[in-house]
Amino acid sequence: MKTLAAVLVVVVVAVAGPAAVPLAAQGIPDHPSKLTFKPIAFEPPRPADHRVVLKNGMVVFIAEDKTLPLVNIGLTVRAGSYLEPPGKEGLAALTGSQMRRGGTKSLTAEQLDERLDFLAANVGTGIGDTAGTASLNALADNLDESLRLFVEILREPRFQEDRLALAKEQALQDMKKRNDDPADIERLEWNALLYGEGHFTNRFVTQASLAAITRDDLVQFHRAYFHPANMIAAVSGSFDRAAMIAKLEKAFAGWPGPKPAVPPVPAAIQSARPGLYRVQKDVPQGRVTMGLPSVRRDSPDIYALEVMNEILGGSGFTSRITRTVRSNEGLAYSAGSGLRFGVWYPGSFRVVFQSKSRSVPYALSLVVDEIKRIREQPVSAEELDTIKRSLVETFPSNFASKAQAMAIFASDEYTGRAPGYWTTYRDRIRAVTPADVQRVARAHLEPDKMVILVVGNQAEIDVGDDKHPVSLAALANSRVTVLPLRDPMTMKRPSS
Amino acid sequence: MNTLRRVQVVPLVLALLAALPARAAEKPQINVQELTLPNGMRWLLFETHESPTIAAGWVAHVGSVNERPGITGLSHFFEHMMFKGTRTIGTKDIAQDLEIIEQQEKLRAQMRDEMEVMRERLRRGEIDDILKPESQTARYRELEKQFEALVQKQREIIVKDQLDQLYTSNGGEGLNAFTNHDMTAYLVRIPANRLELWAWLESDRLANPVFREFYSERDVVHEERRMRTESTPLGKFDEAFEATFWDASPYGWPVVGWASDIPSYTKAQADEYFATYYAPNNLTGVLVGDFRTAEVKPVLERYFGRLRRGKTEPPPVVTIEPKQLAEKRFHAEAETSPTVRVWWKGIGFTHKDRGALDLLTDLLSGRTGRLYKGLVLGRQVANEVTAAIDPKKYAGIVQMEAVVKDGKDPALVEQALYEEIERLKTEPVPPEELQKIKNQAKANAYRRLSSPLFIMYQLMVYDALGDWKYINAYADEVDAVTAADLQRVAKEYLTRENRTVGIFLRKEGAAPADPELAALPAQAQAMVKQSLQRVEAETDPAKLREGIARMQEAAAQAPAEMKPAIDLIVKRAQERLAALESKK
Repeated sequence: MKTLAAVLVVVVVAVAGPAAVPLAAQGIPDHPSKLTFKPIAFEPPRPADHRVVLKNGMVVFIAEDKTLPLVNIGLTVRAGSYLEPPGKEGLAALTGSQMRRGGTKSLTAEQLDERLDFLAANVGTGIGDTAGTASLNALADNLDESLRLFVEILREPRFQEDRLALAKEQALQDMKKRNDDPADIERLEWNALLYGEGHFTNRFVTQASLAAITRDDLVQFHRAYFHPANMIAAVSGSFDRAAMIAKLEKAFAGWPGPKPAVPPVPAAIQSARPGLYRVQKDVPQGRVTMGLPSVRRDSPDIYALEVMNEILGGSGFTSRITRTVRSNEGLAYSAGSGLRFGVWYPGSFRVVFQSKSRSVPYALSLVVDEIKRIREQPVSAEELDTIKRSLVETFPSNFASKAQAMAIFASDEYTGRAPGYWTTYRDRIRAVTPADVQRVARAHLEPDKMVILVVGNQAEIDVGDDKHPVSLAALANSRVTVLPLRDPMTMKRPSS
Repeated sequence: MNTLRRVQVVPLVLALLAALPARAAEKPQINVQELTLPNGMRWLLFETHESPTIAAGWVAHVGSVNERPGITGLSHFFEHMMFKGTRTIGTKDIAQDLEIIEQQEKLRAQMRDEMEVMRERLRRGEIDDILKPESQTARYRELEKQFEALVQKQREIIVKDQLDQLYTSNGGEGLNAFTNHDMTAYLVRIPANRLELWAWLESDRLANPVFREFYSERDVVHEERRMRTESTPLGKFDEAFEATFWDASPYGWPVVGWASDIPSYTKAQADEYFATYYAPNNLTGVLVGDFRTAEVKPVLERYFGRLRRGKTEPPPVVTIEPKQLAEKRFHAEAETSPTVRVWWKGIGFTHKDRGALDLLTDLLSGRTGRLYKGLVLGRQVANEVTAAIDPKKYAGIVQMEAVVKDGKDPALVEQALYEEIERLKTEPVPPEELQKIKNQAKANAYRRLSSPLFIMYQLMVYDALGDWKYINAYADEVDAVTAADLQRVAKEYLTRENRTVGIFLRKEGAAPADPELAALPAQAQAMVKQSLQRVEAETDPAKLREGIARMQEAAAQAPAEMKPAIDLIVKRAQERLAALESKK
């Protein structure tokens, strides 16, 4: 009864009170800047504490995490589509997917699928542009069997013919969709402009290349690259470390053949001539990308570049491009910039936005103005401070779980990231000055060297907006190329 | 004085267990504490200390289901307005700011009168689209110019996107929000030491919001609609399909709103909406991460306790979707692979059949599911298949979809789908198969607990749907389902009169189609294509049978090079016939 009365009193106060009671009386400061916070001490985990090399040469990063009765194994395999023989484009991806889908030496595809599903084990395999991957997420209480099947998939895939035929048919049907979604057209054409038609990431899978791929090609591609000495593992979950290492030693022992030699990823790129590239697609909104190749990860400018990009367009509403194009003018839902540092070949800087056809030219002119401004004027101390604090304060999230930390270590090992990157990162960000930001913007963001790609209803885009007479061509110094849509099955453009 | 009412008392034994060395959970369950403030605001709190961060969010129990024609999309638009600031955040001069907003409203009232003139012109057929700039009246343009001047004046005192900036500089990540049919949720991840900042900013935007930049934000939302709905291959078709599916339910209109409604919202509508649906008695806060419950309770009480309970409770949603009487069909030509989509009226989230229908669709989906084995591997008529339930708060959907293999008749795929469903109705699911699905459900129940952010998301969503305890009940619920239950729900829900069927064909000229046709000699293709189209369009089995007989007769006398063409037509006609005759 007493408690009920107390609650009632509070309810009455709550209904009658707040408007009349000043904030201070409630113990609430009148502005959030008056709040103070206890510092959080955080040091990133050290890779050496988790690194083990198995007898077969496989590097393993391992951490116990007993919160859930699950075990995660993520493998990175030295392989990639850059290793495909010409005329067999699509071989790497098919080999990757068919390892999981096509059965193993002892089990047909049907048997393997049924068994893994009964065990509730999630297994995935794939080969991308510059790496192969394989993952197992299994219940700890059936780990032994799940792991045995996982290794069998990696070591002795069956590559069942009927499953390969089905995968090719599915790929062929997907190929037909290449021109359906303007976002897909943009993604594909942007990469071709950025790195060149000859770059291995632009050697497109076609109807003909798909037809040329045989089961034997898959067998050989797999045999050439899948070997424990070519794998790096990230392992976390509910196990005892020593026992798990022993399990891995045993599971991956006795692999046939020596460690295969893998050629390096090619470093060369060949960007398109700067200027405007237009692709016609009849939709009410134009998709715009503007940018150029950026640096590789070993450049000393990466910290200042990261800060610069966050200020320009990389930090959502806090960044300039989002504020100008979306928040001030209401011209886009999505507007911002992205910066990627390359590992094997140069990365990229790009501004992207989508706007109704007629406001595309004006919105693009605002973007160009923002790029010029960050080159010509130093950023404010407040903007710089906001971004530096953000990068420093969010740093612990990189290592939010054991699985994430092990995945970072495995990726760093695979890509040979400079040691000390994580331990010095926050100090390096804190050291960035307004002059650094301006210097890297001038060095790396020259508008005249940029490629602009516009996918949309070109005639409607050219109508423009009568309040802001801007022409797309003028923004690109009249260097304009019309790109006809490619035939989705051959990736050739119609000759006009 | 304890003003927080703790509904779920944590037994002492559990508290002790938490102090022991971590070991894997026996069951996929988490120890969530539920609290209610005197003003009615509810809280779900779950401590987990892996990383020094907190996933923090709150959900308003309002979505497009609470709207009405004319204001469709207002809930979603409102989500955008909640980022525009307060009396403290977002402005250098609140008095002048409010004055400008008032002047803007007066102009907008006059502009609305002009919009009615434009709508009248549209009804007369004098213009074709009121959203085009050339459709605007001279008076509208003049008013818009005056309005623009006020926007410029206001811009001088606005502190742009200050909420985002404050979170960013304090290590907040992923500040965002989402709206769906039943809820509007606001979330962010913060460093563990910034909880009071979060409480300050979130309670401030609930206590003192200012809907500035209302009209430019309507433009942003319209761009969002253009991006998601109007410029994607299936966006507009999906919207039309949903509108076809529902008869009376407010789930029939799009969450983002109809294109005509978005430019028509008024600030007065928004004010009323906020007062009704953003009162604390209609909100649930959720914290998951590195905090101590005893320490955060006083903070929540201090900051969120100041919100005033709403003057009236939000009105209930009273419309109940009537029982469907007849199958509905939807035929579309779009830029997509040919697809068969079948949706049945299902159940709302708290319905007792949730576990059984969930398991039923699990049984059908995945690589060893019945649809993949039956349609993709077995009959080889489809390339992809999916099955799922979509239980919303007040009603739900059982959804199945198949991408038709090139050159196959969609009618065959539809038929095969129904055959698999028929089997569910007539034969009990074997124990081994049922166990497989249950094993997966249990493992997935653990997987869903692997990230604090995802746990927070689930707690918000489940609470808004009416039952946050689902996060802990799921595994046991599906474990209790029997083969007889599956048979019963298949019979009860998956009936012909309860379904809406969508047939999506690839739009002519959008991409090459039909490999079997393409394999014929070029000169034969046009003729064969015409014949195949006639076959696809034929609904009378007798005529097809007659046609097949005639073609077979002709084939006997035709020159050898014509044989493959005739064979293809006969084959397709036979497939079409089989589909028509077995269609239920």
